Amino acid sequence: MIESAEPRPLPAKAPARSANPLAATTFLRRNLGKSLPLTLVIVMAVMLVAGIIAMINSIPLSIRTIYGYSQEMTGVTPRGDARMTEPILTEISERSPVPIERVVKCRITTTVIQSIVGKWPFYVIGLNPDDMAYYLERQGSRGITGRLPEPGLAEAVISEPVARNLGLKLGDSLLGPNKDDAFSPQEVKVVGIAKTDRWLMLAPIGYLQENHFPPIDLGMVFAANRADQDKLDRWADKHFEGRRAGILAYHQIEKNTNEMFGTLYQILNVVIGTLVVVITFMMSLLINIYQSQRLVEFGLLQALGYTKRRILTRVIAETVLVVVLGWALGLVAAYGLLNVAKTTLMDPRAYSLNTLDPIAYAYTVPLPLAILVVAALTVTHRFRRLDPIAIVERRIV
Amino acid sequence: MLEARGVSLQYFDQGRPVFACQGIDLAIQPGEFLGILGPSGSGKSSLLYLLSGLKVPTDGRVTYRGQPISDWDDDARSRLRLSDFGFVFQQPYLLGYLSARENVLVAQPESGHPDHADHLLAELGLAEKRHRLPHELSGGERQRVCVARALYGSPKVVFADEPTAALDHRNGVGVVELLNQLRGDGSLVMVTHDPSMLADATRVVRLIDGHLESG
Repeated sequence: MIESAEPRPLPAKAPARSANPLAATTFLRRNLGKSLPLTLVIVMAVMLVAGIIAMINSIPLSIRTIYGYSQEMTGVTPRGDARMTEPILTEISERSPVPIERVVKCRITTTVIQSIVGKWPFYVIGLNPDDMAYYLERQGSRGITGRLPEPGLAEAVISEPVARNLGLKLGDSLLGPNKDDAFSPQEVKVVGIAKTDRWLMLAPIGYLQENHFPPIDLGMVFAANRADQDKLDRWADKHFEGRRAGILAYHQIEKNTNEMFGTLYQILNVVIGTLVVVITFMMSLLINIYQSQRLVEFGLLQALGYTKRRILTRVIAETVLVVVLGWALGLVAAYGLLNVAKTTLMDPRAYSLNTLDPIAYAYTVPLPLAILVVAALTVTHRFRRLDPIAIVERRIV
Repeated sequence: MLEARGVSLQYFDQGRPVFACQGIDLAIQPGEFLGILGPSGSGKSSLLYLLSGLKVPTDGRVTYRGQPISDWDDDARSRLRLSDFGFVFQQPYLLGYLSARENVLVAQPESGHPDHADHLLAELGLAEKRHRLPHELSGGERQRVCVARALYGSPKVVFADEPTAALDHRNGVGVVELLNQLRGDGSLVMVTHDPSMLADATRVVRLIDGHLESG
């Protein structure tokens, strides 16, 4: 007789344990050495996919943001004949399908701003004081730090994102004789910074007329609201097709951007697809290894009377938990990473980055789905060959 | 209650037919302690697997309470094992991430009463160790947990396949005594090559080369 087999009273206090010892969470919680690596691989993969897509998406988003000011007006340039500006503006005013709020003549000169992929062209628009005030209001300016430029002087007002992007403050030069990318015969000082998220550079029209080429007046036509502006853009685009008039409209920026990034997104799809396949393959190998280590458990349970389906359901439930948890944590981690990138890398230069980019997060969905499908197939295949007797007889352990 | 009629189990070894059991007729009565004695390789374990539905005979039939369980599909036989049978295997297999108590509960995860598990473990001298993990228990203690698991839920039949194989003689005798004491109204079918383990058996049959001889 075994001495220790004598009946003994139960200890007064027993640590609490789960009611169902085979709940799907039990194995995962008590085998963190196995479940954590699986979860972390998924977390990192989701973070990688969402991060790549959001960063790539930040480029077209930057284009749309930087040139977003054109949503508020229809730009008009003459083609082949500098005298055409006035007749074009008159024709638009008379035949526009929507009410016109204001027609403005302006001059421009080119400069550059910094983007995540290098220098991009940008325009300093020359306006008279009334038009400048209207334009700033139209672009959502909530006021100006400093003041508006004096007519005819080498002065400029820029918006906050431009100031951040170029590192300019009041009194700094926006244009100047020593700036190759931003030439002007005089130092054009920043005298005002407009409080708006729009990217703007404005100078007195008189200064540009006196100092900058080409000596051609351009036009800006303002509809009453953004919806009408879009109608006007599309109408003017079609109306002046083949004529001596160039129409600059926001929808063209959208179209050109989409065309520009079409090929890049195709390449990106292949890269992300490959990544999903690699991660899925790696995960299926890991899951296969971990399940192999549990064959004794599965065989024992089957010998005791658990059906294969019941064991399989439990294993798949465990896999679902790991994958869904990994995916959810991955989304949170990706959001955190993107916020860090936005704060430390993007915001100081006013680069655009959407940390809640729905496309970036949608791209991560195939990852858990693929892992689940492959894991289920792998485990099912293993179970088909599982012989509980071989396990309890220790023929395979 | 549990009956084998003309039961054979044939397999092929390099194309040559081999009988693990041949033409076995055996009936197990309620409450009986049946010992199946035989040397290594005599087919004892195979007979146990046939009786418990872990294997199906290549010939003959196994019935339980009049039902031909050898004709049932794998799932139905599994459900029967879980509901009516208990098992003790040669090796003290336990789930390494579950405590002793939880390993016992595994035998009847839904219908069992946890107090019964605590009672069994106390009877087996493991009350203080019921929250320990298997690697914190000795070999004898692990096998006693297996005994508690086999008895949990008061099975109608407990099958013990050389339950003392991994234990020294003293511990082995103790395990068999506990199995016999705690099985209540259930039958106990135990295979062993050691006659001393069957001192308390109601009946002992001998198996030689897959054939049954009355003992």
